[in-house]
Amino acid sequence: MTIELRRPVGDPIVVDDLERLSFRVDRRAYTDDDLAALEMTRIFGRCWLYVGHESEVPGPGSYVARDVGGRPVVMARGSDGVIRVFANSCTHRGALICSQPAGQARSFRCPYHDWTFSNRGDLVGVPIPDGYGPGFQKADFGLARHRSDSYRGFVFVTFDPEQPRNLTEYLAGATEYLDLIDDQSEVGMEVIQGAQLHGARANWKLMMENSVDIYHFRALHKRYVGYMESLGSVPPRRRGGFGCALGLGHGANELPPAAARPLAYWTPMFGAEVRPRIEATAARFVDRFGAERAERITGTNRAVLIFPNLMIIDAIAITIRKIDPIGAGQMAITSVALAPRDEDPDIRELRKSHYLTFLGPAGFATPDDIEIVESCQRGYLNRTVRYSDLSRGMNKEVPETTDELPAREFWRQWDRLMHGYDGHLEIAHRAELQGAQPR
Amino acid sequence: MTIELTVDEAAQVRLWHRVSQFLFREARLLDEWRLIEWYYEMLTDDIRYSVPATDIRGETADALGLIDDDAARLRQRVEQLLSGEVWCENPRSRTNRMISNVEILTDRGTHLDVAANVIVYRFGHGRSDVYVGKCRFELVVDGESFRVRRRVVVLDHETLFEHGKLSIIL
Repeated sequence: MTIELRRPVGDPIVVDDLERLSFRVDRRAYTDDDLAALEMTRIFGRCWLYVGHESEVPGPGSYVARDVGGRPVVMARGSDGVIRVFANSCTHRGALICSQPAGQARSFRCPYHDWTFSNRGDLVGVPIPDGYGPGFQKADFGLARHRSDSYRGFVFVTFDPEQPRNLTEYLAGATEYLDLIDDQSEVGMEVIQGAQLHGARANWKLMMENSVDIYHFRALHKRYVGYMESLGSVPPRRRGGFGCALGLGHGANELPPAAARPLAYWTPMFGAEVRPRIEATAARFVDRFGAERAERITGTNRAVLIFPNLMIIDAIAITIRKIDPIGAGQMAITSVALAPRDEDPDIRELRKSHYLTFLGPAGFATPDDIEIVESCQRGYLNRTVRYSDLSRGMNKEVPETTDELPAREFWRQWDRLMHGYDGHLEIAHRAELQGAQPR
Repeated sequence: MTIELTVDEAAQVRLWHRVSQFLFREARLLDEWRLIEWYYEMLTDDIRYSVPATDIRGETADALGLIDDDAARLRQRVEQLLSGEVWCENPRSRTNRMISNVEILTDRGTHLDVAANVIVYRFGHGRSDVYVGKCRFELVVDGESFRVRRRVVVLDHETLFEHGKLSIIL
């Protein structure tokens, strides 16, 4: 099926004007049903998409079933220890072969006719087999396996057999940020059980923009800032911070912590009792990585956007946020916390507590983000104001965190893919500086 | 015909009535946004208010939830909600809580474990949401009344996809 854009050429949705230093997005991008359908093929049908973290399938036979890019999939670790991603659909007549969100299974049995597949995807059981002729081969009916790969524990899948980039190439500059997160434990990171499953009645791209927007923080999140001040948060021990474009639609912000970090950045709000443990961890990181990189890992907050729909926010806790479009005007949000597997139990409690303070549908900040993106979506109904503006920082060599470079990087890649660039070409908008180079 | 209650039954009915009245009053104060009265008159100093994640439902002790407030954070939640700085609760939600199936699970003299079901209707910012959950209360006897020491609301929803957020106190 081919869906063509129903708009004349020369009526662009993304207006990227490097002479006037103006970047605008036509609000139809958030409201138009045809564009939303086109995104499912041109973006979600082509990109590498985040499925989950390897720690969610810790041992042979463990699996999770979830939707990725609107498609039900199963990520399973086979009895051979290999992680595979399968279409969650029986090769016989199509029913879900796995309806539990997570668990442990040697095999998956389709409830419709009892076709049974091993956790490696092979068809191993067909009841009443004499109904098929000699041409029927079980080997032809294994679960459809998607092309998947992982980088530092983060598992991605692509539904495009012709996706020209391997995962590492696709992640481009974002690999450095995944390194900074996975380096936080010598024995590996793990997803903490208990997902925050929620959503918003707004276009999914609004939440991507919001997640790399630090400009809104002091305005919209007064109550969170006030709460942290009441706990005795102290000014960061250094100044600075920047926003950057990481290529192929990915972007990040990096800034000194305004509060504390449970890994190895102690401030009085964590209490005196855990101070020696946190500072000992900080010293170990200096030994392992040297002072400069240790400070970047342990003493820096970051938010990284991995195109199209993954956000990893590494601040007072680490959250992995996967955002899925449901038509033009609705999204599903899945947030989980990531932490060092070998974390001290008291520090784990601190991490969880502060995670809940900020994040999730009942935190002191996320509900306001949900409400504000819904408010934008409602505002678009007016239609008199045609464009949203994302120009902040185009006048600077090194955009600050309160600028909008990461969002522009997202939109430029969105625009390229929606126009059908297949990724074979190295297309880049090099005219705008790409922000600070990592130190 | 009059039904005679035994002394024990009469005591149980009286206790059940007092507990129910207490929970109804709690629901009313929350619906009327009388959060300061609720916080200071109906809770203990060591209150813990939790809403587990909808996938784990509190079955794993060390899982992350949606809310896990101690007294200090709950007081912050109350003060913030009343301050007008919570954008998503300004204007305030209109809520209506239905408490039912009140059951005293254990009566240990000085404190009671109570189960109840709750439906909270929430209207605001042009939308309406329904939260359905099972509550567990640990009530501490306080003179003729009680105070809540532990307040857990296990939501029955698979996800909060429709709701987006949980910005009120359930």
